[in-house]
Amino acid sequence: MTAPTRAPVEYRDRHTIFGDLRESIADLRSHGELLAQLTSRDIKLRYKQAVMGFAWAIFMPVLIVMAGLVVRLSMAYVSGKPLSVDGMAGVAVKALPWAFFVGAVGFASNSLLSNQALVSKVFFPREVLPLSAVLAQGFDTAVGTVALTVALPFLGATLSPALLWIVPLALLLFILTTAICLFLACSNLFFRDVKYIVQVLLTFGIFFTPVLFDAPMLGERIAPLVMLNPLAPILEGLRLAVVEGHNLLVPLRVMEGGKLVELWSPWLLLWSAGAGVVGLVLSITMFRRLQYLFAEWI
Amino acid sequence: MTAPRTGPGISVEGVWKKFRRGERHDSLRDLLPSLARRFARGRGDPAALEARDFWALRDVSFEIRPGQALGIIGHNGAGKSTLLKLITRIMRPTLGRCEVRGRVGALIELAAGFHPDLTGRENVFLQGAIMGMPAVAIRSRFDQIVEFAGVADFIDTPVKRYSSGMNARLGFAIAAHLEPEVLIIDEVLSVGDMAFQERAFGRMREIAQSGIPVAVVSHQLDRISALSTHAMLLRRGEVVAIGTPGECITQYVSGELGQTDAATTVVPGLAVTTLAAEGNGPVRSGERRALTLRGRYDPEQAGSRRLAFMVRVRRMDTGQVIFTTTTHRHGLHLTRPGSFVVRFDLQFNVPEGVMSVETGIIDADTERLMGEGPWAHLEVSPGQPFKGMVQLNPELSLGPDL
Repeated sequence: MTAPTRAPVEYRDRHTIFGDLRESIADLRSHGELLAQLTSRDIKLRYKQAVMGFAWAIFMPVLIVMAGLVVRLSMAYVSGKPLSVDGMAGVAVKALPWAFFVGAVGFASNSLLSNQALVSKVFFPREVLPLSAVLAQGFDTAVGTVALTVALPFLGATLSPALLWIVPLALLLFILTTAICLFLACSNLFFRDVKYIVQVLLTFGIFFTPVLFDAPMLGERIAPLVMLNPLAPILEGLRLAVVEGHNLLVPLRVMEGGKLVELWSPWLLLWSAGAGVVGLVLSITMFRRLQYLFAEWI
Repeated sequence: MTAPRTGPGISVEGVWKKFRRGERHDSLRDLLPSLARRFARGRGDPAALEARDFWALRDVSFEIRPGQALGIIGHNGAGKSTLLKLITRIMRPTLGRCEVRGRVGALIELAAGFHPDLTGRENVFLQGAIMGMPAVAIRSRFDQIVEFAGVADFIDTPVKRYSSGMNARLGFAIAAHLEPEVLIIDEVLSVGDMAFQERAFGRMREIAQSGIPVAVVSHQLDRISALSTHAMLLRRGEVVAIGTPGECITQYVSGELGQTDAATTVVPGLAVTTLAAEGNGPVRSGERRALTLRGRYDPEQAGSRRLAFMVRVRRMDTGQVIFTTTTHRHGLHLTRPGSFVVRFDLQFNVPEGVMSVETGIIDADTERLMGEGPWAHLEVSPGQPFKGMVQLNPELSLGPDL
C-alpha cells in the first residue's frame, strides 16, 4: 500500500502575510520569557570564562576605529588635506552599529544550527533563537554606547537636538539586522553553503558600507551607489546627526568646485526604512512557513 | 471523532507523514532542477510517493480526552516518535490534521536546552522557559525541583561538571514540575538509577492520573500498562490495534514480536525461520509454556563445526537475563540435514511481567555465539503468590520442636 486508502483530509493553514505576522507577534508575546532567558544565556556565555569581560564589547568597535584611523591617515597623505578630528568622531559613531551588524549576523545566522537539539526535539517559536542572538549583540552594543558617550566630547561632538535621531536610527538598524538574520539563519539550516556566503559578506561588507570612509568621499558618481546599501543611510545618518548635529529631515547640500553636491537627502532614510520593513516582513513570512521543516532538514 | 472540541485534548485525524530516504539534495546541482520542476508543476500531489519517499505514518486517527492516557507501542521504526513530533508541532503532517489544545508538557528531550557552561540554577530557568514555564512559576518551584533531582550541593556548578545521571535527573525534575494541560512522554522512563526511576515513575503517574490527557511512548510495556487507560499498536506506520492496554500489549507480544524476518540465515548452512509459542495469551506464573524454533540445516555448507541452539529469557522491564541454556548442555545435536524443530519447554517460575525469549546459534565446542536467532515476547500473568525474582517452590512446615 503506497497511497492513501481513504479520502485524505488535506490540511493547510491559509497563509497570508498578515496572518504570519500576527501569529509571529502573538507567539513572541507568549514566549517573551523564553526570549529573555535565551538572550541572557547568550550574554552570560559571552562573558563566562572570558578574562577581558566587558572589554570585549568595545574591543571590536575600537579596532574598527583604529582601522579607520589608518584609512583616514592614508587619505590625508594622498590628498594633502589634514586629518580632521571630526572625521574620527564620524568613524567612532559608525563603528558601533557596524560592529553590531557584524556580530549579530555572525551569531544569528548560526543560531538554529548551534541549537540543533532544541530545534529537532522541542517546540517553541523558532524566531526566538536568531532574535536572542541579535538582542545579546544589542547588549554588547549598549555597553559600547556608554563608552562612546564618554569618548565623543573629546572627539568634538556637541549636544544638539539632532541627537534624538539616534533612537529611530537604532530602531531601523535593529529591524534591518533582524530581517537579514532571520533570512540567513533559516537558509543556513537548509543549505550549509550559506555560512561561507555570510563570511564573505562580513569580510568584504566593510568595503561597500561607509564605515571607515564617509560616502561623500567617494565622489558624486559612486556615493549614491554606496548609499543604495540599506545600511549606508543609517550609518551616514548617525554620523550627520551626532557629529554634525544635522536634522535628517533636511537635505544637506554643499557647494563644491562651483557645483551643488547633495550629501544627504531624507529620501535615503525612507529607502532604508522601506528596505528594512519589507525585508523583515518577507523574512518573517519565509521563516514562519518553513519552520515546520526545520526538524526534518537540520 | 466529532465530539465537541473544547478543553484540553489531542485529536489526530487521518494523519499521513511522508519521509524521504537518503539526502534531500546532494548538491545545488540537484536542487535547481527540482525547484524548476516544482515551479512548472505546482506543488504536486502530496499523496503521491516519489522514488525515495515512504510513508512513516499512514492514516492514523485517534483522540485523547481529559482523563485518558494513550500508550503507543510498536517496534522501532513503527512511527511512534514521528507521531509524537507531529503532536508536539515540531513537524507537520503531510496529510490530515493534528491538533493539541492546551499547554503541552513534553517529557521528550529533558536536557535538550541545557548549556554546559551555565550552572544548574541558570539551566533550570533556561530549560523551564524552553518548556514554556514562566520564571515566576520556576522560582516558586525551584526548591522542589532541586530537591527532587538531588543536586542541591551542585546547583551553582556548571552542568558540564555534572555526571550524566545528575544531568538527566535535573532535566527530569524540571519537566516533572511543569504544570501542563496535556502531557506527552517519550522514552524517558529510564533516567538515572533504580531509586530515581521509581521516584520519577511515581511522579509521572501522579501527573497522568491528575486527569489531563496523556500520550506516552515506551518500550517498557509494564510501564505503559501502569500509566495508560488506552493503548494503540503501530506497525510500519499503521494503526494495528487500538483498545485497552492489555489487549494491545497481548497482541504486540504474541503476534508482533515473534515475527522477525522470515528465514534468516544466521550461520552458513543453517537457516532459522520462526520462533513460536505453543498456545496463546499470557502464561500464568509457575506454569509451563513451550516454544518451538524451526529451521533448515545443511551440513555440507556448515562444515565440520558442531552447532547448538541457545535460549535466553530476559525480563523486559529491567532488561536482566534471568535464564539461559543451550541444546548441547542437554546432549542434543543437529545431525541430519533438512528441516528441524527445537522445542524449549520452560517453566516460568518468575513473577508477573513481560519476558523476552531470545534464541541464538552457538558453536557447541567453544560456546561462542555465532548469531542471534528470532525472539518472542511472552507475558507472565500473576499466579501463585510470591515476591522476589524467582519462585523457589517452598515446602514449609510449622510444628512443635520435639
